[in-house]
Amino acid sequence: MAQHKTPLLDQLESGPWPSFVSDIKQEAANRADKAAKGEIDFQIAVDCPEDLLGVLELSFTDGETHWKHGGIVGVFGYGGGVIGRYCDQPQAFPGVAHFHTVRVAQPAGMFYKSDFLGSICDIWELRGSGLTNMHGSTGDIVLLGTTTPQLEEIFYELTHNLNVDLGGSGSNLRTPAACMGESRCQYACYDTQELCYNLTQEYQDELHRPAFPYKFKFKFDGCPNGCVASIARSDFSVIGTWRDEIRVDQKAVAAYVGGEYPSNAGAHAGGNWGKFDIKAEIVDLCPSQCVRYENGKLEINDKECVRCMHCINTMPRALRIGNDRGATILCGAKAPILDGPQMGSLLVPFIKVGADNDFREVKDVIEGIWDWWMEAGKNRERLGETMKRLGMATLIKAAGVEVDARQVQEPRHNPYIFWKAEEVEGGWERDINEYRKRHQR
Amino acid sequence: MPLDMEEAKIVVVDFLKSKEKTKSKFYFQDLCKLFEDAGPREVKKVLTELVKTEVMEYWSSGSTTMYGLKGAGKQAGAEGE
Amino acid sequence: MAFISSGYNPEKPMEGRISDIGPRHYSDFLPPVIAKNKGDWDYHEILEPGVLKHVGNSGDVVYTVRVGAARLISVTHIREILSIADQYCGGYVRWTTRNNVEFMVTDEATLKALKADLAGRKFAGGSFKFPIGGTGASISNIVHTQGWIHCHTPATDASGTVKATMDEVFKEFQSMTLPAPVRIAMACCLNMCGAVHCSDIAILGIHRKPPMIDHAYLDNLCEIPLAVASCPTAAIRPTKIEIDGKTLNTVAIKEDRCMFCGNCYTMCPSLPLSDKEGDGIAIMVGGKISNRISQPAFSKVVVPFIPNETPRWPTMTKIIRRILDAYAKNARKYERLGDWATRIGWERFFEICELEFSAHLIDDFRDPAYYTWRQTTQFKF
Repeated sequence: MAQHKTPLLDQLESGPWPSFVSDIKQEAANRADKAAKGEIDFQIAVDCPEDLLGVLELSFTDGETHWKHGGIVGVFGYGGGVIGRYCDQPQAFPGVAHFHTVRVAQPAGMFYKSDFLGSICDIWELRGSGLTNMHGSTGDIVLLGTTTPQLEEIFYELTHNLNVDLGGSGSNLRTPAACMGESRCQYACYDTQELCYNLTQEYQDELHRPAFPYKFKFKFDGCPNGCVASIARSDFSVIGTWRDEIRVDQKAVAAYVGGEYPSNAGAHAGGNWGKFDIKAEIVDLCPSQCVRYENGKLEINDKECVRCMHCINTMPRALRIGNDRGATILCGAKAPILDGPQMGSLLVPFIKVGADNDFREVKDVIEGIWDWWMEAGKNRERLGETMKRLGMATLIKAAGVEVDARQVQEPRHNPYIFWKAEEVEGGWERDINEYRKRHQR
Repeated sequence: MPLDMEEAKIVVVDFLKSKEKTKSKFYFQDLCKLFEDAGPREVKKVLTELVKTEVMEYWSSGSTTMYGLKGAGKQAGAEGE
Repeated sequence: MAFISSGYNPEKPMEGRISDIGPRHYSDFLPPVIAKNKGDWDYHEILEPGVLKHVGNSGDVVYTVRVGAARLISVTHIREILSIADQYCGGYVRWTTRNNVEFMVTDEATLKALKADLAGRKFAGGSFKFPIGGTGASISNIVHTQGWIHCHTPATDASGTVKATMDEVFKEFQSMTLPAPVRIAMACCLNMCGAVHCSDIAILGIHRKPPMIDHAYLDNLCEIPLAVASCPTAAIRPTKIEIDGKTLNTVAIKEDRCMFCGNCYTMCPSLPLSDKEGDGIAIMVGGKISNRISQPAFSKVVVPFIPNETPRWPTMTKIIRRILDAYAKNARKYERLGDWATRIGWERFFEICELEFSAHLIDDFRDPAYYTWRQTTQFKF
């Protein structure tokens, strides 16, 4: 134990927040103990957690990373799911000299049963470092650190014994992610988990075998609160919505006004905000000014509502999402690299999302976009960048959806419309001789 | 028009061999350009077959992926695999 | 060590191979009360920080206890979580998108015992294993990237900066006193594997020195056309150099075009860019994702650089504390951090938060820059 001194990291063991340093040390101690007792024949270095702390301490000292990227490693036939890593100080830290990451597809909504997750722990203790990320940024279970010979063994055990596959990386469809949706949330406007699962299964080839210009992410939010951040983080963002009336329970409204129910579902209970003021907190904050409260009655002009969720979030026992539910689809969100950050731009204002026809309407939109982007996209160009380069209207056409005023914040600022010949009466073919009959040279 | 698998495989491998001295890895789109009349999905089938039969392999930067002949290029040695 | 085979035969990789099966179906893992009421929940309430109550139209109730966890987590710790799930929750447990862990029970007596058990468990070093909180108008757990623990292009550490920050804001994790939720995100370089571009507060690692060029080895380790193609700003070109009388193929870098992204290092290990003095942290604020009241918004850079002060980044945590306190004191109920700054004006934000405004904070990168400049005479003195 403690083969490397880690005075800097040791200072991250104090303080109230769970210490990853303490956790790695506990893993190191457990491995050493099990190895000493002969309980487990570890398939990679027993002391790799110590070496990981050692190399991290070195980075804390010299302010520089000690990892190199490796691009070849993976499981046979898959272009993603494994990220190669090599330590640039292998003599000092042999336990982590080769230390590759394995991405395992997470279940939608990230509920687990102990037997399944326990079995993943067993595989990863035997064949890897025993260290994980729950979860990676895209949503996968990330198994952190193993050697190349173990990759196929891990994949074999995952697929044969646990019926679970690897996630995506590289120029693939990335592992799709969903909010918990209908499983435990009354705001969900469609079954995010089922759509996520269904599309993940449908597009396994796109997930494992790269044929896109760059990465492509699906994320599924059940409502405009956006708990999986799809509008900011996914090339294809599906956000639940409705197009009829918010259901109002006037008795419950009175209970909020009277202070019997905690406002905002109790989310502000710790602050000194005073008594709930329905005028100041609901009516005045409505972004489309479509709420009135008069004579003890709450009225919503639903036609003008933009479904921001504020009133529903604030009085969840009185207001409920409408019954005519579906989703809005936005495209092209991405982090700033390269041309600046992009939010998803609205493509489909409303689409029905139902398992009864195998989500065919959503798939048609996706496949139209892919067929276009795979041809028109440049190397390393995210969908949002292709959209910027070739125009929103091109995407709308490729996706086969209707043009709609809802797709823009406001109309264009310039009149440089690229009219096509077929759009103009008489076309573009004209006779110069006829023209000359009317105009001298 | 669907590609003839065997002919297409030869086109890809010949192209990669012709470039071997300077560049061992190519983006999917680069290889699509070898088949002007075929869509990307057709080309993908050919590349997948070449990977399955261990003629080609993937190289991933984590964020992107490239295709090359198995074992070709300088990274292979650098990674010590 | 004796190699233990899974059954895989390396001679015949396709034999018995199972692939393209995707994730497990979520319904394998739903607690019975969740499966039964799925799609039929009536309402929810936060009973106290970290404890939620969901009520179904069936009349069923589920209590959820949310606890913080490090994203980097060992199988030993996961097994402890699973044993708690076995003891109290029928073996079911859930992770949130912000790396929190949720335990669900259906009666108040079990809830009470579960809370007491969770709150009492500590690591040997003294930190809590399962701090309860992260709901409502609080600071929930930080979403983040790998950092020095596993990434080849980070400009800072992720787990370390997150631990230091969450220790600083622990009070806000366990209470609900803020005007609105404050979402913190951390990415260890500007490629942002963890997209931090829409967070109330973002901690972002940045490099400030272009890559070095290991001319003597470059042509042995890297394919020059790939290194050239990897640069998003086309700052790299092939060239030749003379070393010890030998002419070597290598690259040249137009340094004033470098945006310090590290993409070339991914392709070519002879172009390292990590540097103790060059690397550090930028702070961004004012982003959001939810459509509630205001529209989703990008984070804005308010501190261009803070050095890496290991192991606890005190300057960074001090600045985050200052921004948070100013926000908590001045913002209105329901107002997110960025909405508050927009309402009072960013010039006022810098004044109230005692942050220096410098030329580095004026956008000069391509087209989007224009939309951040001021095109009105409306401003504040």
